[in-house]
Amino acid sequence: MSLNARSGVAFEETLSRAKTAAAGGDARTALASLFASVTPDSDFVDQARTARALKRVDFGALGLRPLSIALVAASTLEHFAPVLRLWLARMGFDAEVTLSPFDTAVQSVLDPASALRRSKPDIVWLFSTYRDLGLETRPGTDLAQVRQQVGDAIAARQALWSQLLDHLGCTVVDNIADVPAEDPFGNLSGSAPWGLRAMLRRYNADLAAAAPSGVVLFDLDHVASLWGRRRWEDARYWFHSKHAFALDATGSVAHAAARLIAGARGLAKKCLVLDLDNTLWGGVIGDDGVAGIALGHGEAGEAFVALHRFVKALKDRGVILAVCSKNDHDTASSVFREHPDSVLRLDDFTVFVANWRNKADNIRDIAATLNIGLDSLVFADDNPMERDIVRRHLPEVEVIDLPEDPSGFVAALARPRWFEAAAFSAEDRERGRYYADNAQRTAFREDFVDLGAYLRSLDMRGTVGGVDPFYRPRMAQLINKSNQFHLTGTRYSEAELTVLAASPDCVVRHLRLTDRFGDNGLIACLVLRRCERALHVDTWVMSCRVLGRTVEEFIANDMRAVALAEGCERLVGRYVRSAKNGLVEGLYERLGFARSAGGEAESEWTFDLDAARPGWTSSVQAVENNEGLPQ
Amino acid sequence: MIERDTVVRRLTTVFQQTFDDPSLELNDAMTAADVDDWDSLQHIVLVLAVEREFRIRLNPAEVGKLENVGRMIELLQAKAV
Repeated sequence: MSLNARSGVAFEETLSRAKTAAAGGDARTALASLFASVTPDSDFVDQARTARALKRVDFGALGLRPLSIALVAASTLEHFAPVLRLWLARMGFDAEVTLSPFDTAVQSVLDPASALRRSKPDIVWLFSTYRDLGLETRPGTDLAQVRQQVGDAIAARQALWSQLLDHLGCTVVDNIADVPAEDPFGNLSGSAPWGLRAMLRRYNADLAAAAPSGVVLFDLDHVASLWGRRRWEDARYWFHSKHAFALDATGSVAHAAARLIAGARGLAKKCLVLDLDNTLWGGVIGDDGVAGIALGHGEAGEAFVALHRFVKALKDRGVILAVCSKNDHDTASSVFREHPDSVLRLDDFTVFVANWRNKADNIRDIAATLNIGLDSLVFADDNPMERDIVRRHLPEVEVIDLPEDPSGFVAALARPRWFEAAAFSAEDRERGRYYADNAQRTAFREDFVDLGAYLRSLDMRGTVGGVDPFYRPRMAQLINKSNQFHLTGTRYSEAELTVLAASPDCVVRHLRLTDRFGDNGLIACLVLRRCERALHVDTWVMSCRVLGRTVEEFIANDMRAVALAEGCERLVGRYVRSAKNGLVEGLYERLGFARSAGGEAESEWTFDLDAARPGWTSSVQAVENNEGLPQ
Repeated sequence: MIERDTVVRRLTTVFQQTFDDPSLELNDAMTAADVDDWDSLQHIVLVLAVEREFRIRLNPAEVGKLENVGRMIELLQAKAV
């Protein structure tokens, strides 16, 4: 009982607080306590008991929006309906949820005299599951027949939609069908066109393409997969009472649907207000400076880049971005103007507030500037104190509790589903080309089987640089962490790199690589030493992420260029065997170097430079850049 | 086997919480007819609450058999941990 009992005690206390408040006529506190007693993941018993207690709350004075929803299904939703009402209340609705009699979907929709047709609900939710679509077929059924069957299933949905749109003028919600976990054919069910999973995927994709405006598709399959597909169907309650999904998933389904319905009714959040220090980057910009904050490649900075990407995508989808930070304005904004790894740029933010006032006042000003309600704002801050101030003073604002570890920031923003939109409008589209870009990305790998053509199509661009404050930490990190693609096993600290770079016989280089799919960051470092007429490769490390993409050839060409500029006649490479660098044992040989000394443990390789001897072929194009190059 | 008194005590709490009635007391002969709200819908809520409290999973046939409190106690004594 231990774990259940502990969480159970907290639940009982919160629920009892709600009941006391409701009995005392304090509807607002009662509602807040009820919302605090469950999360979408709470089990069915807690959801049901909270939903039951909701009946005690008088919605009269709360200003919730009335909304009527009719559920039409061929499975049992009687236990789902009150929980849906609970989660719709959480989104600001006083919902009346009604159910059409079990398994009368088609009659209810088509018969003008049906209770559904007469009740004229705001929303009709055709709660379809995979069982309702009749898509099972015999093994080996040919593709034309599969297409026909899926097409017929879609046409049947379309017929229901158009009846409802024409006669009721309501919003229609239909489901992206859940794909079942178990079936007789295992892998073949997904890989053969006649398999149930393959057919359901085809159906779901075609359904998304077929839905007109006015029809909102609820991605039930996604909810099922997030909740846990193995547990999603509880066969016991299908056999016993025709529940199409596990009762414990009720909260997850109701929460996701309530968010989507809120989006469809214009109640999705409109603006994301973000803190800066330790939220959009690691560290404090005022102390650490643009080069000192954690943002970009390396384990400390990548989580923040991921957050930038997530937030940028929200912006491209039409969410307004605002900054609310305790900072000097120019210092804070410099990151978005100057930091090379900042995905977000200054003009991505519609409002940028960085000052030393309290955040509640600032957020009130942001809402006023944008001319939107406080209840349209979501606020994310790493600092629990700032979150608390905003919660206390602006209870209408939704506050996201960011976890301590920035790796969890994206999930913390995504899971509450605050920004669900029922559709992507023309107005949204003008704000970004994100979707178009993404579609191109996925098309790529299919088009190019030929490796050379594929590599050329990647549009790889390499930028060469030296030791500078921006890149020095990452260079030292790469040299000190790399074991596999490391020819000599040398280690240099940041300070040593600085000294090397200043030495007249030494050239320290790094390479940054971008491609069509994004920025790979700083992926290689070289320490080259001139010794008479030879240029020695003292250190060559590279990130294994970019292996096999002709980056090695690009680097060899760069070494050749440095050598010729320094008046050298040959390149001399060294390979020092370690426990982990077998990967590059044959590198110099592959590049056409000749072994000039040494044996297995350590060998020396020479490449005679001749202006007439051509360089190496690489699909990486050089980006002109003169930062930190030898004079 | 778990004590009958323990089962009755825990089951009483489950009933009181499920039917939102802190004064509810159990007796062996009690059926759905004796409790307001104990209909087929609320029966499923009750069964899930029982499953959670006693950490058991009932099969569909057992779910149907739990209509009478005495039978419920017997079954829980046999299955519960």
